[in-house]
Amino acid sequence: MIGFILRRIVSMFVVLFALSVLVFLIFFATPGVDPARKMAGRNATPETLAAIRASFGLDRPLPVQYLRMMNRIVITRDVESYSNRGVRVIPEIMAAAPVTFALVAGAAIIWIVASIAIGLLAAALRGTLWDPLLMAIALIGLSIPVFWLGEVANLVTQQRWHDTPLFSWVPPLGYTPIGEDPVLWFKHLVVPWIVLSVLFVGFYARVLRSDLIESENEDFVRTARAKGLSERRVLVVHQLRASMITFVSLFGLDFAALVAGGALLVEVVFGLPGVGRLTYLSLSGLDLPVIMATVLYGAFFIVIASTVIDILYAFLDPRIRTA
Amino acid sequence: MGVAPTEPAIDLPLSPGPSRGTWATAVRRLRRDRAAMATLVVLVVIVTSTLLAPVYASRVAQTDPFRSNLSGTVEIDGSRVPVIRPNPSGLGSTPIGPTFGRHFFLGADTQGRDVAARILYGGRASLIVGVAAALLTCLIATGIGLLAGFTGGTTDAVIFRALDIVWAFPIYLLAIALSTSLLVQGLKIGPVAVDPNSLLLPILIIAVVFVPYVARPVRGEVLAVRQREYVEAAIAQGARRRRLLFKEVLPNVLPSVIVIFPLIIATCILTESALSFLSIGVQPPQASWGTIVNDGQNQLYTRPLVSIAPGLLIAVTILALNVLGDGVRDALDPRAKIRRRKRRARDS
Amino acid sequence: MRYLRPVICSFLLALLVTTLTACGGSSSATGETTTETTTTETAPGDQTTDVTLDSPHRGGTMKVVWNGFGSSIDPGVDYDGNWTLLRITNDGLVAWKRVSGQDGNTLVPNLAEELPIPTNGGLTYTFKVRKGVKFSTGQEVKPSDFKATIERQFKLPGPVASFYAVLLGGAACEASPAAGKKCDLGKGIIADDNAMTLTFKLKHQDADFLQKLALPFAYALPADTSPKETSVTPLPATGPYMIESYKPNVEMVMVRNPEFTQWSRDAQPNGYPDRIEFNLALTPNEGTTQVENGDADWIADQIPTDRLGAISEKYPEQIAINPNPQVYHMVLNTQVPPFDNLKVRQALNYATDRKALVQLWGGPKLAEVTCQILPPNFPSYKPYCPWTKNPGETWTAPDLAKAKKLIAASGTKGMKVVVIGTPDESTTSFDLYFIDLLKSLGYDASRKTLQSSVEYPYVQDSANKAQISRSYWYPDYPAPADFLDIVVGCSGYHPNSTANPNLSMFCDPAIDAKTRAALAKQITDPAAAVPLWTEIDRLTTDAAPWVPLFVASRLDFVSPRIGNFQYNPSVVGGFMIESAWVQ
Repeated sequence: MIGFILRRIVSMFVVLFALSVLVFLIFFATPGVDPARKMAGRNATPETLAAIRASFGLDRPLPVQYLRMMNRIVITRDVESYSNRGVRVIPEIMAAAPVTFALVAGAAIIWIVASIAIGLLAAALRGTLWDPLLMAIALIGLSIPVFWLGEVANLVTQQRWHDTPLFSWVPPLGYTPIGEDPVLWFKHLVVPWIVLSVLFVGFYARVLRSDLIESENEDFVRTARAKGLSERRVLVVHQLRASMITFVSLFGLDFAALVAGGALLVEVVFGLPGVGRLTYLSLSGLDLPVIMATVLYGAFFIVIASTVIDILYAFLDPRIRTA
Repeated sequence: MGVAPTEPAIDLPLSPGPSRGTWATAVRRLRRDRAAMATLVVLVVIVTSTLLAPVYASRVAQTDPFRSNLSGTVEIDGSRVPVIRPNPSGLGSTPIGPTFGRHFFLGADTQGRDVAARILYGGRASLIVGVAAALLTCLIATGIGLLAGFTGGTTDAVIFRALDIVWAFPIYLLAIALSTSLLVQGLKIGPVAVDPNSLLLPILIIAVVFVPYVARPVRGEVLAVRQREYVEAAIAQGARRRRLLFKEVLPNVLPSVIVIFPLIIATCILTESALSFLSIGVQPPQASWGTIVNDGQNQLYTRPLVSIAPGLLIAVTILALNVLGDGVRDALDPRAKIRRRKRRARDS
Repeated sequence: MRYLRPVICSFLLALLVTTLTACGGSSSATGETTTETTTTETAPGDQTTDVTLDSPHRGGTMKVVWNGFGSSIDPGVDYDGNWTLLRITNDGLVAWKRVSGQDGNTLVPNLAEELPIPTNGGLTYTFKVRKGVKFSTGQEVKPSDFKATIERQFKLPGPVASFYAVLLGGAACEASPAAGKKCDLGKGIIADDNAMTLTFKLKHQDADFLQKLALPFAYALPADTSPKETSVTPLPATGPYMIESYKPNVEMVMVRNPEFTQWSRDAQPNGYPDRIEFNLALTPNEGTTQVENGDADWIADQIPTDRLGAISEKYPEQIAINPNPQVYHMVLNTQVPPFDNLKVRQALNYATDRKALVQLWGGPKLAEVTCQILPPNFPSYKPYCPWTKNPGETWTAPDLAKAKKLIAASGTKGMKVVVIGTPDESTTSFDLYFIDLLKSLGYDASRKTLQSSVEYPYVQDSANKAQISRSYWYPDYPAPADFLDIVVGCSGYHPNSTANPNLSMFCDPAIDAKTRAALAKQITDPAAAVPLWTEIDRLTTDAAPWVPLFVASRLDFVSPRIGNFQYNPSVVGGFMIESAWVQ
């Protein structure tokens, strides 16, 4: 078991290392990417450019540059952006992370509650018209492009019906930290929360319903029924509990991916200064230090989440360790 | 639960290799599935109408939806009106709105192009990218999965560490990174050069991004098949590897891949639209539903239909593919009906 | 200069007013302004009377949305568009008068007590520095701070030091190796902190020296300011406002500078709002909606063309249009086929329907058709348009027949042409027009879209062989040479470099000889140089390194609660935030 955990942890670092090399190479393989040019401003003379290259070490061989960059990201943690000279990247990410976390956590609460409700209802009402109806709703939620939903939500709440009592409470796009004004913070995030959660509500409701129905024939359910427990109690207590294993492991991965920057479309559409938007801006601005740091930050979450879930599963199911 | 949680991408049904009879049964089952058949009709309608885009453009709308038409005129209800009318205030201009008639059914965009015709053409691009990327993903992933699962050992380990790297990226971030870089230079693999404007570029990028999501379960499936008694027996008897691969393993893996194929198409279409929305997918003057939503972004407040119509079409197509996917799965593996869970792209 | 900035240099106008007062005929700057402007509280009396103090309009928070926020908050570095902000936080010795209308191009003393009269044959400028002005840190502004500021300018990486290379010792500073750059201007700038005098000594005459001292590069910073660029930590301010916090791509906040007391209403008037918040996170489209909804007071970005119609109809009182001489053009790479062929470049110039493009830009109120390199009102500008149906002074209609004939004669039909562009809506729409035009002229035209951060360096580097792309240029230097010697001239041409403003890669020896002659003449006899530049403008226009399209204007959209909208025409001007009322 310990060997398995060690193996997983080692491979986690191998993945992170390979990932950073990959990003570094993608960046330097792109022509027209010259950080020095950006720093020099317009009308710079070739001499100025050469000087900047020298002072930032951009004239060194790639492996040296890579090591210097990684050193400044991981060890000294003082790496600075190329586009916004002098801006420390790590604090920038730390400032963006709470925004993303607030967005994702709120959406997660919505999607957990809503999907459990829909999944349970659909499973309980199996055989009636409600089941396919609820599943159809879940499927629709699953099929809507999130950026488009966000745009339409903006159209409705910021313009079309902005003057009606229905949406006049929606503040202009942006973000207010919770410490500054909790009410405004909440108002800012309501629409993004809903938009972000729609897809996941659809997905999780479907997963949960299938798992619930699957467990119908399991021994523990039959036993519970045999004990004379009510249908509702069997469903909510026993079946739901059993289905939670899948639910939670999926949730762990999804949550990690979103916190890692996967919520970028929602962040971009709603102008939320989170990690996803930061990564997106750095990618389109080809701001290497920020790209490297944000991608590693994101990958770290995803890799940790899947490692933890792997290890937990290995505890639960010894067969996996050998696979 | 046969699939480890790190491989929840798509949970493949572990079915015994289907014989010819199973295929026939599957088709028969699928035909009885009314929901699947209904969505199949919807899909056929969407595909046919996008295929008929050139006919619509030339015969009905009589415009070239890829040519800007800044100073053209059009006849509406017997009178000639400019396609783009300068505003009376002298600031900006207003393209013709939806006529719900022959010309400019959904109006014109800022370039004076027929939005309806563009949506049809755009749908064609979206579908081509989606289907081609999905096909490519499944091909590559099946190949990799077979190779890894069948050879095992170091090959297996190396392949799966490589896939782990891709896996550790949030999907859109990887796609964006690849697009930003490749759009500058195009792609050169040996003698093959892919032009940055070519649809091939988004196809390749999207295909690569989703490979691990299919390859992991395929490998799991291969491992499972290998461990079956009759396969082990065949190996023990010294059966030829190639024969084993094609006679035993592949037929068992294929249905699983077919089951997830519609869902992969749906995911690929969504990814394409998101990339195009961020203007790093399909490149103008070509159009896809995503680029049209993006074009319509600025007009969202003035003429929302330009942005809403393609978005709705994406949603309907994805919905149809999802329902069809359910149908195909139920048809190929009725047991799986209740034990299905599937994964989508994790990003939003 | 290609980055969007709300305020565009009007150096030329400044020059007109200061040196060629006779032709100050460029009609009222606010010709199309519908906002009630110029209702300033023009209390008579002393320059130091602070009219904001007793005003009911003083106070409140102004909210600004600004997506394309410029590069830096360091006045020594920023060259991309924060000048309009730095203008209200920091000061130089001299300044353009802080008023709307043409008078806003007049130089007035700022931290200097008066404008000096150059002595020693125009080589020495002696200033008396105003006493009692303090930085926001509490330190007093001393003459030695100015010396240190200019020296710091030479030490910072960037192109701007050359502005002050004319000072004695400046050339040595410029030549000093960049790593560990040293600069001592002890000979060129003599600061006497006791007498509060500051003397600049020049190597040769420079008619524009005072204008250069009015630029943000010469805004006073404490002598002990680090020679490294400041990024997010604001530098000490002298103006009515100071930056409180700055988070790139997220927000910036300006508050009142507690140490500020108005010393000259003309040079640096006190402001009305107490606080100015800049939202840097929204797209121009979302920003426009915020101003519409009254959630923001001003959008610094360009309004998306699609929104112009609705806004001009719904909120006509909230928009103001002011001229700003950006010349938009298509760059033709004169060294790559097919545009290495003069006939092809001429053909494209003949074929372009400039009127349609003006409409695409937002209509004739926002842009004026042009066929030549120099913008109107520029010194030595004479209207010239060879690229029209009836060549002469003005453009009337495209001449497709002529274009097709030229293309046929060039033998380049069928060649591949790739238009390089960025994903933004405006560039895309222009590129699409040119792709169609090129196709109709018989070329195999397509587009390559690059992120805006990549595109400019890409088209600059001749190794990339970019064929055609849209660009714009505004004069950041008051001489025609900025256009004719840099943007389409040999001095700006650096092959295989990403520091090459001459995107057309155009360098014609014959024209260059004339340029050298004009530059020489300008020092000895500026008036005589004017016709020379006119000729060079024509010759360059005829050689067609560009397809000149139009000269754009600036449209500002403000919320209804903004009162007293004023637009300053100077290079550091634009919407004067400090003079606007938010209550």
